[in-house]
Amino acid sequence: MRRRMTGSDYACQYRAIDSPIHRLPAGWKMLISTALSIWILMVREPQPLLLATAACFLYYFLARLNLSDLWRDTRFFLVQFFILQFLYLYQFGYPAGVWPGIRTSLQIVLFFIPGIVFLRTTQVSSMMKGLRKIVPYRILFLLFTSLRFVPFFAREMQEISLAQRLRGARLSPKQSRHLLFWHDVFSCIVLPMLVRAIKTADEAALSAQARGMGSRSERTYYDVRELEAYLASRQQTCTSTDRIGTENEDDLAGATIKGETFNK
Amino acid sequence: MKSNVKFLWNRFTMREALLLGFCATFIVLTKVTLRMKLGISGHSLFFLMFFLMLARGIVPKTGAATLVGLLAGGISIALGLAHKGPLIMLNFILPALFVDFAGIFLPNLTSRYLTCVLIGGIAAASKGISGSLIELLAGAPMKIVLMKALFEGMGGVIFGMLGSLPVPAIIRKLQINRLIPNPNEK
Repeated sequence: MRRRMTGSDYACQYRAIDSPIHRLPAGWKMLISTALSIWILMVREPQPLLLATAACFLYYFLARLNLSDLWRDTRFFLVQFFILQFLYLYQFGYPAGVWPGIRTSLQIVLFFIPGIVFLRTTQVSSMMKGLRKIVPYRILFLLFTSLRFVPFFAREMQEISLAQRLRGARLSPKQSRHLLFWHDVFSCIVLPMLVRAIKTADEAALSAQARGMGSRSERTYYDVRELEAYLASRQQTCTSTDRIGTENEDDLAGATIKGETFNK
Repeated sequence: MKSNVKFLWNRFTMREALLLGFCATFIVLTKVTLRMKLGISGHSLFFLMFFLMLARGIVPKTGAATLVGLLAGGISIALGLAHKGPLIMLNFILPALFVDFAGIFLPNLTSRYLTCVLIGGIAAASKGISGSLIELLAGAPMKIVLMKALFEGMGGVIFGMLGSLPVPAIIRKLQINRLIPNPNEK
């Protein structure tokens, strides 16, 4: 719990805190990130690079992200740093290769930081809201449907894996070095998952088409106000019909009573 | 009842588009759940190339792999799995574009082992293009960029080839069971 309060669980995870960067609209953040990234790639001399580094870190820490977040976000670049440093030293020798190696590695890390800040400070819903203006709705529909099915297929995968293990499939991670493990992964998990995916796609497509999805070139929504007005008018019509119906029922009841009286 | 009404780009029906979306879901899922703690560079390309090639085999139309790449990138960003920021999209789209491009010239791409493995390897190598481009823009000499791409890309190419290897067999099994149409069958 404490960990959750102080930092994030993994790199580039959205952090739900309040900061000036969080409050910026997604479009502005994208613009700032792009401008910063271009600036970082353009600088070559130590002083402008220092300035760009300061601006980048200012942007990062203005988003109220801490050092542990920074470590989580940038640790992937450590390997790259060492490879680049080794290659520069191999190419240009000891003193000449040090600075260009450090500069290029630093520029690469800094290039990614504004984008990381964008992901750290922008909720998926805001991202999608912004995307709605640019990306066609059919692609967004596919994206959301694929996202919606992530937990479904994760559960399916777990269940299939458990069932196949009970049937004797060699799916234990310890056996991953054996060729038979991979044979079983493909024949016992991947193939049933694909069959499941094909069936689910059939059903989901049929269901979406039955609701009129994709029948028009533009996205259609139901207007809540229009729907409320329609429901109100429908209710009124129903009430008046009910009243007429009740009157008729009363007449009928009377007739029955009369009939009964008459029969008696 | 299967509808033939085109849903996306005047090319894919809704069923095909959803199936490709599920392939993208599988790429992300395998990346998360079946993550191999091998510590070898490029091992994520194993399942990426497998599902990209498989998508091209299941829906043999130009743009199928690209759509999967696009959606896989979008899902990764939405789920916060993009450790390199929004540019992670390129890591999915570039190999996918290459698979689609190869598919134009090789219609039986996913039914032959040799073409599948070769294209899988080359497409996996294309994943490093975005990184190399950034290094070039950052002022790194071409020789160093190429050496680094070779150093980092080797593992990716091998895993990409290995990932593409089971695709023809799986496509054949799905075709035999009539789960996907067989283009050679009339």
